[in-house]
Amino acid sequence: MKFFRFILIGLTLIGVSRAADLSALIQERLASIVTADFVIQTETDRHPVTVAGTVIDDQGTIIIPGSAIPSTISPDQVSNFKLHRPGGTEEFAATYLGQDALSGWHFLQAEERLRHELVPITRFAGESPVTTRLGDELWGIGLRGKDEDFNPYVLTSHVALIAKLPNETAVLAQDVAGPGLPVFTPSGQFAGLAQNSYGQNFLLYSRGQNGTPVMLLNVEESSVVLLANEVLPRLKRIPTSVSGRPIAWIGVYGLQPVDPEVAKFIKLEKQSGVVLSDIMAGSPAAQAGLQDRDIILAIDGRPLPRLKPDQVVISYAGEEIARRRPGDFMTLSVLRGTERHEIKVTLGDEPKMIREASRHYFEKLGLTIREFLKYDGMVNRSVPGEEGGVVVHFLKPNSLADTAGLQMSDWIREIDGVPVKDYAEAIEKLSAIESDKTRGDFVLLASRGGETKVLRIKLK
Amino acid sequence: MNRGFNRLLDAVVRIDVRETTLEDGVQRIVSGIGSGVIISEDGIILTNAHVASTLAVEISVTLASLERVNARLVGWDHWTDLAVIRIDVADLRRRNLKFTYAEFGDSTVLTPGETVYAVGTPYGLTRTVTRGIISNNNRPFEDPRGIHGFEVGMFNNWLQTDAAINPGNSGGPLVTEDGRVVGINSRAYIGADNLGFAIPSSIAQRVSTTLVKQGSITRSYLGIVPGVLQDLERFYSLASNTGMLVNSVDPGSPAARAGLRPGDIVLSLNGQKIDGRFPEQLPPIQNAIADLPVGSTVKLGVKRGAQLLNLSALSEKLESRVGEEWAFEKWGLSVRRVSRAYARENQLTDDSGVLVIGVQSGYPAALSGIAVGDIITKADGEPISTMSHLKEHYQRYVDTPAPVLIEAQRNRRIALYVFKP
Repeated sequence: MKFFRFILIGLTLIGVSRAADLSALIQERLASIVTADFVIQTETDRHPVTVAGTVIDDQGTIIIPGSAIPSTISPDQVSNFKLHRPGGTEEFAATYLGQDALSGWHFLQAEERLRHELVPITRFAGESPVTTRLGDELWGIGLRGKDEDFNPYVLTSHVALIAKLPNETAVLAQDVAGPGLPVFTPSGQFAGLAQNSYGQNFLLYSRGQNGTPVMLLNVEESSVVLLANEVLPRLKRIPTSVSGRPIAWIGVYGLQPVDPEVAKFIKLEKQSGVVLSDIMAGSPAAQAGLQDRDIILAIDGRPLPRLKPDQVVISYAGEEIARRRPGDFMTLSVLRGTERHEIKVTLGDEPKMIREASRHYFEKLGLTIREFLKYDGMVNRSVPGEEGGVVVHFLKPNSLADTAGLQMSDWIREIDGVPVKDYAEAIEKLSAIESDKTRGDFVLLASRGGETKVLRIKLK
Repeated sequence: MNRGFNRLLDAVVRIDVRETTLEDGVQRIVSGIGSGVIISEDGIILTNAHVASTLAVEISVTLASLERVNARLVGWDHWTDLAVIRIDVADLRRRNLKFTYAEFGDSTVLTPGETVYAVGTPYGLTRTVTRGIISNNNRPFEDPRGIHGFEVGMFNNWLQTDAAINPGNSGGPLVTEDGRVVGINSRAYIGADNLGFAIPSSIAQRVSTTLVKQGSITRSYLGIVPGVLQDLERFYSLASNTGMLVNSVDPGSPAARAGLRPGDIVLSLNGQKIDGRFPEQLPPIQNAIADLPVGSTVKLGVKRGAQLLNLSALSEKLESRVGEEWAFEKWGLSVRRVSRAYARENQLTDDSGVLVIGVQSGYPAALSGIAVGDIITKADGEPISTMSHLKEHYQRYVDTPAPVLIEAQRNRRIALYVFKP
């Protein structure tokens, strides 16, 4: 019996010593984690946002998830960046550096006095990125809310699945970290970065309702991890401008995957393809001679891999463009009918994006207009040369513009019966109308889905 | 009740229709019940287009004597929601059955507040009479997808009544106290209290006469989408009671080719002044355009800003947004020809191709991933611009089943699918 008791004590000791190790590892790695608070200001509202961030270098550079800031929000609408350390009460300032087009991450930089307290995640990455395999145990950190001083807590799970989506991603059996936070091996090596979690399907039973399908999405914790070998190279892509530019652009908007049945039919063995359509006139793709129905088979000689699900190959092609810079070349092998062509495309500069467009809010009208972009030409199927006018970017509910029947994304073509040449002219006219106290109404011609409407906006 | 009313009751019939539906990628038969009224001694029955349509495969009529006879579709017009069917008179004679027919009253002299009766088969309850008044004698109402996706309204105003109108009343008559038909009951706001609508007899008489003669109504099309001028007269500096606002001009339409633009005011149509200030004034104007001969030159007096213009447009035949439909059962796929109107509505580059309206789960089309709303433009590399092209490919597939490569578009984005045996 004595012998037996000895073994029991031994087991307990091992358990305790492991816990102590992990605790030390956690304490050390908390220096790579912060929370970022900021405010998104829209025409009428202020949205406070809190997200988790990971420290990536000695200059206090921090990455936060791409979804933290909606893509139509201009950098000048985002302000009041504040950083907190897990469990800390002190507030630190940060500046916004921009968004990387490839990873989607937003980059922040911590104020100087915080930097020496932080440890970049790369410090825990080892000589070369750790290889993650099925069944491996990983742990990560979650953060409580602001009212609990962002107190950290530990999550542990096992790798259940590894897939190329198109980047190597592990899905764990349970949630392992807050989105945007690092995940580690039991010995503390950086294994990857938790992404936004995937939705899970459930049936909801409630009184009077039998099994309604619902999808649940955990916004606080995630089981999806972008692996270290993908994360580490991207950490070098710190934006050089707040706009995130330069951003490479090809100008093709209809990309559809070739599914395995179609691939077999057109005799593409063990690879995939992407069907092109909706090529913007004058874009790099159009200039290089790419045509609707061309099927991309290879990029720079590398055949498009067969990725699951089919749609992933679209992201793969998208990333091939995003990782390049304007002016770079790309050789596309395309199948046109039955012939194969090699087409060299010189990538261009991404046209002005919605978040960069000039915009103005007319408070009395409850209306924000923004300049008409190339992108709007695509959406509205406009004829090149017939463009001009401005786009409705925001409508205040029950405002003068809203009650007159104007809708979001309407394309304003005329003001008071006169065609609107450009944004500047629209601003001038609407400003004059808004400040004219004698006017009772004015008239807009708005286009929506190819149909136009004459709208009368009452000012009194 | 008086003699006229009793005679009317004898002329009202119950109509049982079995019709095909292609919605699930396969031809299925569904049945429905409606009402109708006999309007001539040779057995012509007036009903709704949403009761008896071109999809009907079997129409059976129950007379006031409770005898059943078969009927066939003579013609339909979804724009006015009217259809004409004819009972098998030879069969009636053989069986020695008799019927009476109703007489029309003048819907144009009706005034709000006048008592009217609705007769029909609500929820299958045959020979139900409900009473109410004319609530409004000039109600505009349109539904661009009202009957199996076909357009309704646009060319006529409606009688509004508070006589109870329920599902199954459709196609039955709205009559005055002396039993004269002043309207054909068509629809009601479900869930509202007694807001029913009927096609006025003035329209019904005209449409039914043409349907009996020609089987369909031919209308002219210019491509003007009118708007209400109300409150905008001052902005356009118009004299009172003139003009129709052009809200939109269909791209590529006769009006677009004539140079008409959104925001223009049409002052006259072939020299006739028009007044479209209020919503109820627009259907008669639309009808005046529709009544012009197809292919005729239409003179439009137009005001654009301070300018007065004379434009002339060559009218085209009006087409519905719903094209020919077909089901390819071995593929589990039902499709509809893309019409010009549909192509315009969806900003397509042209009207070629066929639109997927149904896929049957587990069949080749559904398994390939193609979905409702996709437009098939090619099969095995050959363009599909009409239904017959796709029928040829289908026939080949039926004869010797082999995979077919399908190219389809959705919102102008091209994708490929394989229909596998």
